Amino acid sequence: MFEIGRLCIKIAGRDAGLKCVIVDTVDKFTVLVDGQTRRRKCNIKHLEPLEQVFKISKNAPRAEIVRVFKELKIELKETKPKKKSERPIKVRKKKQKPVKQSAKKIEKEAVKVKPKPQQEEKVSVAKEPVKKEEKSK
Amino acid sequence: MPRPRYRSRKLKRVKKKVPGGATKLSYKKKTPKIHKCAECKKELKGIPRLKATKAKHVPKTKKKVSRLYGGFLCGTCARKKLKNQARLSK
Repeated sequence: MFEIGRLCIKIAGRDAGLKCVIVDTVDKFTVLVDGQTRRRKCNIKHLEPLEQVFKISKNAPRAEIVRVFKELKIELKETKPKKKSERPIKVRKKKQKPVKQSAKKIEKEAVKVKPKPQQEEKVSVAKEPVKKEEKSK
Repeated sequence: MPRPRYRSRKLKRVKKKVPGGATKLSYKKKTPKIHKCAECKKELKGIPRLKATKAKHVPKTKKKVSRLYGGFLCGTCARKKLKNQARLSK
């Protein structure tokens, strides 16, 4: 009954209601099926045989089964195995080290920057002591 | 006399303690019944009893079985139905 090439309908599982062809017999109770279902081992109890039997070789490749289903006017979905994508590895951010500058450059920058901060510092120094005195009173 | 919408028994009545100390009636939505097979009336497995408000936050795959007729027929009834369909198609 369950010989190679027999058309079946799967009754149980998530592939239930889909047509498949028996490709190989594994055991007294188990067969290998392929077609609209995934290519997988299957218990005979989970299959309902139909009338048609196709001539296919044992362990037939997918291309041969696509040809068989074309006779039934059923187009099979071609699914390629997913490529494993590598997980992005997180890299810790490195703290930027202070760049060593030559003595001449530091002097040049100091000359440019000097006039502004000197004025601000004076103001800030003048304000702070006033507050402390108020609190102490 | 309760308000008109609370007179029907579609809401469940729950006694709750109020911060003042007294007990008061409050109304609560009932949990849905267990889902059953449409043919043999057996209880279906793998389908949670959720209110509509909570069910919408649960993914579809957790609310039904991934088989054909999953969530509507039990496994044995689905198998019988598919067998009959296959035999009639011959």
